[in-house]
Amino acid sequence: MSKRQSPVEERRGEERRGAQKPQRRAAGGGRAWMRHHRAMMGDSALRLVKRPIATLLTMLAIAIALILPAGLWLALDSARLLDAELDESATLTVYFDADVDESEAMDLAAEVGGQPGVAGTRLVTAAEGLADFQQTLGVDDALSQLDANPLPASVVVTPADTDPAGVQSLSQQLQTLDGVDEVRLDLAWLDRLQQLAALGQRVALALALLFGLGVLLVVGNTIRLAVESRRQEIEVVTLIGATHAFVRRPFLYSGAWYGLGGGVLALVILLLGGNWLASPVAALAQSYGAHFALPSLGGSHSALLLLFSTLLGWLGAWLAVGRHLADIKPR
Amino acid sequence: MIAFEHVGKRYGGRFEALADINFRVERGEMLFLTGHSGAGKSSLLRLVMRLERPSRGRVLVAGHDLDRLHISQVPYYRRQIGVVFQDHQLLFDRDIFANVALPLTIQGVEPADAARRVRAALDKVGLLHRERALPIELSTGEQQRVGIARAVVNKPALLLADEPTGNLDPQLSADIMRLFEDFNRIGTTVMVASHDLALIARLRHRVLKLRDGRLIGDGEAA
Repeated sequence: MSKRQSPVEERRGEERRGAQKPQRRAAGGGRAWMRHHRAMMGDSALRLVKRPIATLLTMLAIAIALILPAGLWLALDSARLLDAELDESATLTVYFDADVDESEAMDLAAEVGGQPGVAGTRLVTAAEGLADFQQTLGVDDALSQLDANPLPASVVVTPADTDPAGVQSLSQQLQTLDGVDEVRLDLAWLDRLQQLAALGQRVALALALLFGLGVLLVVGNTIRLAVESRRQEIEVVTLIGATHAFVRRPFLYSGAWYGLGGGVLALVILLLGGNWLASPVAALAQSYGAHFALPSLGGSHSALLLLFSTLLGWLGAWLAVGRHLADIKPR
Repeated sequence: MIAFEHVGKRYGGRFEALADINFRVERGEMLFLTGHSGAGKSSLLRLVMRLERPSRGRVLVAGHDLDRLHISQVPYYRRQIGVVFQDHQLLFDRDIFANVALPLTIQGVEPADAARRVRAALDKVGLLHRERALPIELSTGEQQRVGIARAVVNKPALLLADEPTGNLDPQLSADIMRLFEDFNRIGTTVMVASHDLALIARLRHRVLKLRDGRLIGDGEAA
């Protein structure tokens, strides 16, 4: 050790089992306890910094384990955004009989508009329908061969209630009106999308559990090696009266640092990855005529990720130290 | 200070390290524990330090029945005992000052107070000028003295030493023993395990003699 600062300032501390033995808590005991916490927080960080490559590799392993569930969660989040957009556009198309002419169609549209549960209507006359059809499909030539317009007039109904069951019953109700040929609604794919989202959430949860376990193992193994390398120190301090909490403390801080570092790396990688994917995703969305941007983790979610990863690191260290301290018995 | 009542210790259910040991040590006494290696000296000290529990009988130290001591109280018990090891058990990653300060660090003593007590202990063993040295830079005798400073920095009522002169030449051994006598003179109970019979004989203290796990002699060295 080349540093010349007072080692007492470097590591001091106190063990007090406050709840069980309050009489042992001398005046200033809490301060000594805080002092040891601070010292160990610094000391454990310093130990990690002294071995930058090994530390970085461990943190990277944690980051990768965090990125997979976090990335999937983001993907689901974006699917939910799409879902919401689609919910708003969940409309019914009411096709009138082919022999309904334009004025009758307007009357019928008014009647449909007066039905309960209908939030709005938009009439598409037979001529407009044909124009739309030609524009979207670009089949001018084929259609111009036809003598008469084969398309019926229709009205696009925006339901007041967008939940699938409500839309279904509205559709049955509109079906009974005179002059209505068919009511079309695309519920099946809405249903499927919702089921898919539910499935995705479960997969994300399962992955989060699995990779959380991975983080525990990575940190646990790293801490196990650290405990092994400081075995003599642990034996000596145990011999001269250190409590388990005292011995455990620096390792718990190491674990928390690993977790925090891994979390920060994960956030950075997610951010870089998001930027990298942003332009192709935007181009793809554009080609479908949709407005869609990759969501990114907001401030609160980022903080949550960091908290979670720090806690995981701490827990991994706690499990590893608990297991290995039992093995270390002073000779 | 220490009382052994019909204490026996077996390892693995077969090997009998100690059998029916009875003795009392009064507060402020100084005594030696002798016997060949394997006679049970270390086992006896380990019982006093509560590193082991007796298979039979009771060990009482300063009024505590060590067998009744809850596992969570053991660290607090050990803080009342100073221990000097044969291989001194210094930590090589920190300097002499930090090594001696370790017991105080564990107990959360105020840094200023701790520094004062560390310097007093180092002064006592004559190594105050080396407080910034690393253990590796010291001779074996000096390392052992640092180990003693660490054991007494806490002003323990009981000082145990396991072969403290095992690796030292006669002159250094005598110096170390004189240090123990000094601590005993200010009221510390001192118990030293040693097989350096010549040295023990010159010092005229009570001697407990062990052979094959049995106490075969208790009295001043002949």
